[in-house]
Amino acid sequence: MADLIDYLQFVLAPQALNGLSLGVAVVLMALGLTIIFGLLDVINMAHGEFYAMGAFLALTLAGLGVGFWALLVLVPLLMLPIGWLAERWLIARVFHSRDRHILTLLLTFGLGMILEDLLKLVYGPNTLRPENPIEGGTEILGMFLPNYRLFLIGFGLALIAAVWLVVFRTGLGAMVRAAAFDKDMASSLGVPVRRVYAGTFAFGVALAGLSGVLLAPIYSVFPTMGRDFILMAFTVVIVGGMGSIQGAVVAGLLLTQVQALSSLYISPVWSDPLVFGIMVLVLMVRPQGLFGRLGHA
Amino acid sequence: MPEATSLRTLSDPGRAGPVSRLSRLAPVHWLALAFLAAALGFAAVAWATGNGFYLRLATEALIFAGLAMSVDLLLGYTGLLSLGQALYFGLGAYVSALVLRDVAASFWLAMAAALLAGALAGLIGGVIANRVKGVYFALITFGLAQVAAKTVYNTRALGASDGLIGIPQIRVGFGPLSLDTADPLSFFLLVLALTVAAYAGLAYLMDAPFGRTLAAIRANEKRVPFLGFDAWRYKLAVYVLAACVAATAGALYPMLRGFVSPELMFFETSGNAVITVIVGGVGTLIGPVVGSLLLTALRSVVGSWTEHHLIVVGVIFMLSVIFLRKGLVGALLARLGRRGDQGRAAR
Repeated sequence: MADLIDYLQFVLAPQALNGLSLGVAVVLMALGLTIIFGLLDVINMAHGEFYAMGAFLALTLAGLGVGFWALLVLVPLLMLPIGWLAERWLIARVFHSRDRHILTLLLTFGLGMILEDLLKLVYGPNTLRPENPIEGGTEILGMFLPNYRLFLIGFGLALIAAVWLVVFRTGLGAMVRAAAFDKDMASSLGVPVRRVYAGTFAFGVALAGLSGVLLAPIYSVFPTMGRDFILMAFTVVIVGGMGSIQGAVVAGLLLTQVQALSSLYISPVWSDPLVFGIMVLVLMVRPQGLFGRLGHA
Repeated sequence: MPEATSLRTLSDPGRAGPVSRLSRLAPVHWLALAFLAAALGFAAVAWATGNGFYLRLATEALIFAGLAMSVDLLLGYTGLLSLGQALYFGLGAYVSALVLRDVAASFWLAMAAALLAGALAGLIGGVIANRVKGVYFALITFGLAQVAAKTVYNTRALGASDGLIGIPQIRVGFGPLSLDTADPLSFFLLVLALTVAAYAGLAYLMDAPFGRTLAAIRANEKRVPFLGFDAWRYKLAVYVLAACVAATAGALYPMLRGFVSPELMFFETSGNAVITVIVGGVGTLIGPVVGSLLLTALRSVVGSWTEHHLIVVGVIFMLSVIFLRKGLVGALLARLGRRGDQGRAAR
């Protein structure tokens, strides 16, 4: 019995909590992706590079003496115009084409390529390690947990709740959902659809940048850092149902637990194939994912 | 383009004879012939100057052109974007490498084994992927390839992250004759011949009723059943066909490089194939080939003065998506078509 409690306390629970802190981070990224898809029907393949941009911006600004708390506000604000311009200059160009799903996917894929190489050009290919903004740890039920991870879980959950409230409980959110549901009707009711589209894309990009700021102290910062992470975020969005906020949250927390526990019981190297395998299975059984779409919510 | 070909053959079916036979050849095939002539010219120059490096580079471009053709069968002809075609390319490469290293140093056995593996994997992958459409198809193909790539990456028996090395160079027998894969010129000519054969076979098939049905699926899948065709079956068939093309192209890779690595299956490989098709010309079989040679040359040239060639490739790719929807070959064909129309009007 004592062995079992020890096992739960020292092996299983820390792993699950590690999984949770990663899960919150993945959900933040998936949230941006799923909002962009739910409204614009655009698969943003450059999302991982926007995440990396956020991390590098944070690093640069921190080097100039900007504090961590200011970064949490400043970096998303700086990412907003970048996202806005990307939507106006690129997405909007092919938005009314018949093949716009494929074309926007290809455009954002190209954009991601260019951004990644630009980051390499500016910062070099090396891995950078930012300072931990919240030092120390806390003992909970005999487990020692780094404070920064606890902060990440709390802040992330609050942010996810805030996004959900804005989308489903405010006038702005209603406007955005109306534009997603029926753009002609929304437009004739006075919703500035074009600006809503650009704004939503910018918002999703800002969320990606914010994830970059939050995760930089845990994982190192390097130009291709978005790649592995974006795969996970895409998987989460697909399993949860493209465009669904609830789906992204549920699938994000679930899949990162699968990842954390499978690396404990099987082997860390097999957790990725397992997670992708689950995605393929879900798509086979329920092609639209576990939850519905934002536009139909 | 298949549309142009069919219009031409429909509008003047009566004129027979050798002259009209040649004139019936669609402009896109003339482009392919010009390309073949250029490739042979290149081979002659490279051989005369003893430049094995460029021959090897061109061979690699042709091998990846096979992968791009496979992407184009799905995207250009059927309207299905596959983000995981490297799965079949890598599968072919690994099967071929294993056969050559552990079973027998036989070209034909390696090719047959890769083809069989590609067909089987394509059947399984096709049944799974064809359950969904549009972006979901793109994402499920991406997911399938990711599962396969990570599995290979983690399997020690397949060399894990190092891949397989020490693939022997072989002699390829054609009855009494044989050529050596170690010789850059012979192997280039062999791969060129296989590419031409693949082009001709696929071009014929895409002009045949099979290809017309695919075009109908691309145009409006919902109406295809009303014409009496089972769209699902055709989509599965073209998926398996594309997998076979990718696998046989992949089978050539270890013969060229002497090794295979899990990178061949990764998303970069699939993504590059999609870029190749878009830049070269989607919906024509010569487009992927032209695109592959162009991008390989570009990477080699740009790569010699900066390591940041992704920016250049990315910009070209995005410009093609926005301004040249049919790629370079499509733009060229449009020009040729206009000139042809003017010529006919003048007469």
